[in-house]
Amino acid sequence: MRRTGLPGVLIAGLVTMFATISARAEAPPSFAANGTLTACTNPTLPPMTFVNGAEASALAGFDIDLVREIAGVWNLRPDIVQMDFEGMFPSLSAGRCGMVISGVMRQATRERNFDAIPYYESAMVVIARAGTPKISSFSELSGQTVAIETGTSYGRLIEIENAALAAQGKPPVRVQLYPSEDQVIQQVLLGRAHAALSQDVEVLYRRRQLGGKVTTIFKPDIPDFHDFAIYIRKDSVDKARLEQAVDELRRRGTLTALAHKWNIDDTLEEAAATRGAPSRFDVQTFLSALVSRAFFKGAAMTLIMALLSHVTAIAISIPIALALNGRRSLIQPVLSAYVAVFRGAPTLLQLLFIWNALPQFLPIFRESWFTPFLAAWISLSINESAYQVEINRAALRAVDRGQSLAAEALGMKKSHVYWHIVFPQALRIALPPTINDFISLLKTTSLASVISLQELLAVTQIQVARTFQFTEYYSAALVWYLGIVFFFLYVQKRIERRFTWADRDKAAAHDA
Amino acid sequence: MTLNRLPDPEKRLSIRDLSKLYKEFVALDHISLDIERGEKIVVLGPSGSGKSTFIRCLNRIEPHDSGVLMIDGKIIDQKTDLTELRGRVGMVFQNYNLFPHLTVLENCAVAPRLVRRIPRGKAEDTARRVLAQVGIAEQASKYPIQLSGGQQQRVAIARALCMDPEIILFDEPTAALDPEAISGVVLIINDLAAQGITTVCVTHEMGFARRISDRIVFMDKGRVQEITPPEEFFTAPRSARARAFLNEMIRF
Ligand SMILES: Nc1ncnc2c1ncn2[C@@H]1O[C@H](COP(=O)(O)OP(=O)(O)OP(=O)(O)O)[C@@H](O)[C@H]1O
Ligand SMILES: [Mg+2]
Repeated sequence: MRRTGLPGVLIAGLVTMFATISARAEAPPSFAANGTLTACTNPTLPPMTFVNGAEASALAGFDIDLVREIAGVWNLRPDIVQMDFEGMFPSLSAGRCGMVISGVMRQATRERNFDAIPYYESAMVVIARAGTPKISSFSELSGQTVAIETGTSYGRLIEIENAALAAQGKPPVRVQLYPSEDQVIQQVLLGRAHAALSQDVEVLYRRRQLGGKVTTIFKPDIPDFHDFAIYIRKDSVDKARLEQAVDELRRRGTLTALAHKWNIDDTLEEAAATRGAPSRFDVQTFLSALVSRAFFKGAAMTLIMALLSHVTAIAISIPIALALNGRRSLIQPVLSAYVAVFRGAPTLLQLLFIWNALPQFLPIFRESWFTPFLAAWISLSINESAYQVEINRAALRAVDRGQSLAAEALGMKKSHVYWHIVFPQALRIALPPTINDFISLLKTTSLASVISLQELLAVTQIQVARTFQFTEYYSAALVWYLGIVFFFLYVQKRIERRFTWADRDKAAAHDA
Repeated sequence: MTLNRLPDPEKRLSIRDLSKLYKEFVALDHISLDIERGEKIVVLGPSGSGKSTFIRCLNRIEPHDSGVLMIDGKIIDQKTDLTELRGRVGMVFQNYNLFPHLTVLENCAVAPRLVRRIPRGKAEDTARRVLAQVGIAEQASKYPIQLSGGQQQRVAIARALCMDPEIILFDEPTAALDPEAISGVVLIINDLAAQGITTVCVTHEMGFARRISDRIVFMDKGRVQEITPPEEFFTAPRSARARAFLNEMIRF
């Protein structure tokens, strides 16, 4: 013990020094506003970030726990925002996220635009169906189909490999892109893809679901796929603070504890040996998904979004239709351009534009009041209004000019003529195409999952990522969509029955 | 003709040099005419002669460009209250233009309710009385689509009558009717005149014109060619154009 006397003093001194440093580390980074640490994540990558359980808002995983721990270091309130993978880095740029933590690898190219802080070691793996022989280089995948997740950097890796293969006159590796990790692995299980690129932690975590149906055929050593990293906007001070916070957690043993909690500290070989995943259609899972709160809430969100957007669209479209049908004026070309642009541009593009590009021009849209709900509502309303304008114009034109002439000849005011004579007749003409459009809008809302709106399809995808039970959850979503659509078709029939005046036979029947 | 140059405030309608242009095209060319209270005027003339344009100027559905239009001593121009004017000058259209989404009763009551703010019950009572007057009381709750052409024409007349007008303008009221229905319309129009309502009727039916007119106004190319009582017009028209027109009519 004596020998440690002097070092003991030294260590005591060092500890004091560290304490001062870590005290400085506890100064929160600049991206933490109002005592809140906003982290964006795409919860479709278990065990790092995913939705655990039927509740769409119940985020869980290594990354989610880590955010909470980091926030704890700085005494901040963690605010975890879910979004589509594609949306995360634009949102980071737009200032909507303070940091991105979503099982993303530390990579040199990403570090050109953002600062990366590594927090957990990992390794890239090439997986294939059980029984596939191991390989020792990417070139052995020549001519094979490989599934990878969209927006990940595996794609570039294959591109480089393909260039090399081309130089040797060999066929390239064929790439299939899928929007989520679970779909990537599903392609291997289905046999549509020979292999898939993933991370070891992913495969470890899924060992039970996969039940020995896949095997690792190659574990390349590529620096770009060594570490999971947190990304922030470039700022050397923030970077240093975050690095110190992560070091602090590593020193406390928190990271190891988390790895154990999320089952990613075992070896791959053990994982592959585990067996026992169900593969048939599981009626129980289907039924419980069907009546789950998550699906109910997703369906409600879909319905509310569609109704709200359509009502708004109709409100916007009526004055535009009247102006376009009316006397020539200077605003007509402007309105025509509005209709042309929003009918012409894909709805998905409009959603992404409003959510990701708008905040770059107008910083006000970066603030937290601009939610995915609001963005989807605005995009879908504008988009639908362009279609509704055409429906309304056609309906208004289809009302005989003699109708308003007769009403005017009776001394009615313009507003009376519209409300009591023209609109009721135009309504009958516009109703079937309007309900048609509504039904299509109901389904279009599913696009809003890309800006992280928790509607029916987003909920479904999250559940699939969690459980890997594609058929059951897709079927449950299908039943919900069909249920809603059939309900509105029924409503349409009921409403049309009220327009007996338009049909001689029905009017007679109604009379009798 | 012996009209004063100035309009006569004593007449129901007094028209002086009324002209209407569509761009360069002269649709009405200096039309002058006096119409008494309760008088039945029929406007005849070849297609495109400006008959419809003329009667549409009388309730300002088409505003005239120059000349004077005076109703009961009041000049009708852009300052005129259109609601009041159209309450006094009713119109019945060739294709009726009934409101298809309203029942017969509502067709008749809608304008009094909205324009005159008469309560629904009272407006519908009036409408029922007027429908009885034109002989279709039992159709009140039907929709226009369920009625025959003749019945629809009666609804159109009833709808105009419910505003209690002093003048009713008819634009080819018999164009789509069979002879029996035409006789019905003749009776109604003569009945209106008996009540002191002035009627101005555009038509192509010579027999109909003869039975509902005190005077015939014959137009051609936007001008009034002659104004004569029907007996005289159909036996000895004064203008060469009217003679040519009648010959043309007889041939068909
Ligand atoms: N809104 C308009 N714009 C331009 N020209 C018009 C318009 N309305 C009528 N005209 C023209 O004015 C002339 C008179 O038309 P009007 O409808 O008064 O004829 P009409 O005597 O009623 O004919 P018809 O017996 O065929 O009904 C026609 O040459 C017609 O082309
Ligand atoms: Mg005409």
